[in-house]
Amino acid sequence: MHAVINTAIHCPWAANLGDTPWALLPVANRPLIDYWLETCSNQQMQSVQVVLGEGAEEIERFVGAGDRWHVEVEYVFARQSETPHDYLESIAKHWDDGLFYIGGPIFLRHRQAFRPELFQQLPACRHLHGELPYFLFGRCNAAIQPLLRGGEDSNRGLEEIHIHPFILDSVGAYFEINMKMAAGEFVRYVTAGYGTADRSSVGFNVRTPPSSVLQAPIIVGDDCRFGTMTTIGPNALIANHVIVDAFTELSNCLILSDTYIGRNLEIHGKIVSGNRVIDPSDGTSMTIDDSWVIARNRTELRTNDVVRCIFLWFVTFGLVLLQFLPFCLLLPPLLLTGVAAFRKQLCHDPHRGYIELPVFQKKKNVKSAFYRLFRGLSLDRFPLLLLVLRGRMFLCGQPPLRHPQDDAVVGQLRHYIPGVFCYRDYNRDSDLLTDALWYAHIRSLFEDLKILVKALVSRFLTAGRKLPEE
Amino acid sequence: MFVNCSKEGGIGVVKVSDSLTAATVEMFRDQLRSWQEAESDVLNYVIDLGEVDFMDSAGLGTLIAVLKRITERGGDMKIACLQKKPRMVFEITRAYKVFEIYESVEEAVQAFE
Repeated sequence: MHAVINTAIHCPWAANLGDTPWALLPVANRPLIDYWLETCSNQQMQSVQVVLGEGAEEIERFVGAGDRWHVEVEYVFARQSETPHDYLESIAKHWDDGLFYIGGPIFLRHRQAFRPELFQQLPACRHLHGELPYFLFGRCNAAIQPLLRGGEDSNRGLEEIHIHPFILDSVGAYFEINMKMAAGEFVRYVTAGYGTADRSSVGFNVRTPPSSVLQAPIIVGDDCRFGTMTTIGPNALIANHVIVDAFTELSNCLILSDTYIGRNLEIHGKIVSGNRVIDPSDGTSMTIDDSWVIARNRTELRTNDVVRCIFLWFVTFGLVLLQFLPFCLLLPPLLLTGVAAFRKQLCHDPHRGYIELPVFQKKKNVKSAFYRLFRGLSLDRFPLLLLVLRGRMFLCGQPPLRHPQDDAVVGQLRHYIPGVFCYRDYNRDSDLLTDALWYAHIRSLFEDLKILVKALVSRFLTAGRKLPEE
Repeated sequence: MFVNCSKEGGIGVVKVSDSLTAATVEMFRDQLRSWQEAESDVLNYVIDLGEVDFMDSAGLGTLIAVLKRITERGGDMKIACLQKKPRMVFEITRAYKVFEIYESVEEAVQAFE
C-alpha cells in the first residue's frame, strides 16, 4: 500500500499560532505528521510520499528519511496548478495495491474501542472538508478510482473502525483536540504502561521545585522549568522547552514550544505560542515580546547577541590586562611547590565538536596561601579568558560541558554557549541542565555583567573555595 | 495629543489614543500629570482605553502607578472600553483583580455615583 501525506494545503488559521507549518503543529506535544507516520508504520506501509509546500524545510528536517517510523519517505513539491485529485491521478501507477492519503489537518482521533487491527476492516472511503479530500483510503485501484472521480462519499469509513476524523479547521478546533488529549485521551495513543495512573504525563528533565503544584490530567514536555509556587493544571498542556516563572497559574491552556511565561501570571483557556497569546474562542491573536509577561525562548542569533559578544570581548581584554601580571607572579610558586597545576579536560565545543580546556586543580591536599589567592583572584580562569579573546569561548554563559560525562546534557540544549563564568560560580544549588536552559533564555548584556560581577566577588570572598558541584 | 482629558460631572475622563507600551508610557504619564496639576480638584478618574489596541507590561505598570497615586489622594480610578487584546493582557497578568473595568465610559462614570 502506498501512503501520501499532503502538507501543501493552505491553512490560514494555523498562521495565528506562529511560524510552525500546520503539519508540525503538536497535538499533545507530538506533531500531527508524527501520528500519521505512526499509523503508516503500524499498518506496515513501507513507502510514504510527503507532498511539500510551505514549511518544506522544517517538515523535511523532522521527518528525515522516515527511519524513526521504519518507512521510506519520498518528498515531492506541490505544483500550484495541480489539485490533490490531479496529483493522485498522476501517480496512479503507485497505488495499484492501495492508497492511504492524508490531505489536510485531520487528526485520526481514536475512540475508546479502537484497536490498530481494526484498520484491516477499513472500507474504501473518502472524508472531505469542503471540496478537498482530507482522508482517502482504498485497497485497490478499482476501489480508489470511483472515490477520486467524486463518486459516492461515505464520510463514515473511519467511524466504522472507531476513529473519529477530527478536522482541524480553526484555532478553536486545534485547542479543543489538545484539551481532550490533556483531559485523558492521550493514553490511547501511547503504548501500554506509558501513561500514569492519574492520567498525567510529564516529560524528561522537567524540574519541579517542591512548592510547584501539578494537577492531573496534564501533559508536560521535555526540558521545562517551573518557578516556585507555580500551579499547573488541570488540563494544561505544556510543550517542550518552556519556562514558567514563579507564582504563575496555568490551567485549561496549551503552551507551545519555546515559550517563556513570566512571573505571577494567570493563563486560563488560552494558547500561548512563543510570544503570542491566542484566544481559541474567537482566534484573537496578540503578539507581545515582554519578558515580564510572555516571550519566545530565543532560537536564533540576534543582533543583541552580537553586540553583547563584542562588548564583552573588550571587558575580557580589560580583565586579561589586569590579571596578566598577578598570573605571571603567582603561577610559578604554585607549580614549583606542586600544590596545584593546570590539566586538560576535554569539553564540548559549539563549533568544532570538542576542545581541550585547561582546568586548574589542586594536586596535594595541603593549605596554601598562594593557591587561595590564585583562585580568589580568579587567576585560574586566565587561560580561559585568552580563549574568549580568540573567540573559542564566551565570557559568561553556560558551564563548559565535559566529554563524555555531560554528553546527555549537550544533546538536550538547543544553544550551547560555554562561558568562563557561569551561575555555578556563585550559586551552590546550581543544576547543570536547568541553569543551561535558563541562561539560553535569559542571556543579555545585563545578565552577563551580573554573572561576571557576582562570580568575581563570590570567588574572592570565598577565596576560591570549591563549590560542591565543581 | 496622546492623552485627551475632560471633566464629566467632576470626574476626569482620560482618553488614550494609542498603544500603551514602553515607548509611549512616558508621554502618557507626563500629559496626565500636567492635566492633574491643572485640575487639582478632580479626585476620581475614568481611563478610556477604547483606542488602545495593544498594551505591554510597561503600560500596565503605568496604569497601576496612576491608580496608586490617585488612591493615595483619596480618589479612585476605573477602566472603560477595554479592547480584546489589552483585555487579554489584563486577564493573564491578573490586573482585572486590581482595576474595576466597565464596558463604556458612561457606565464607569455612573459607577462613581
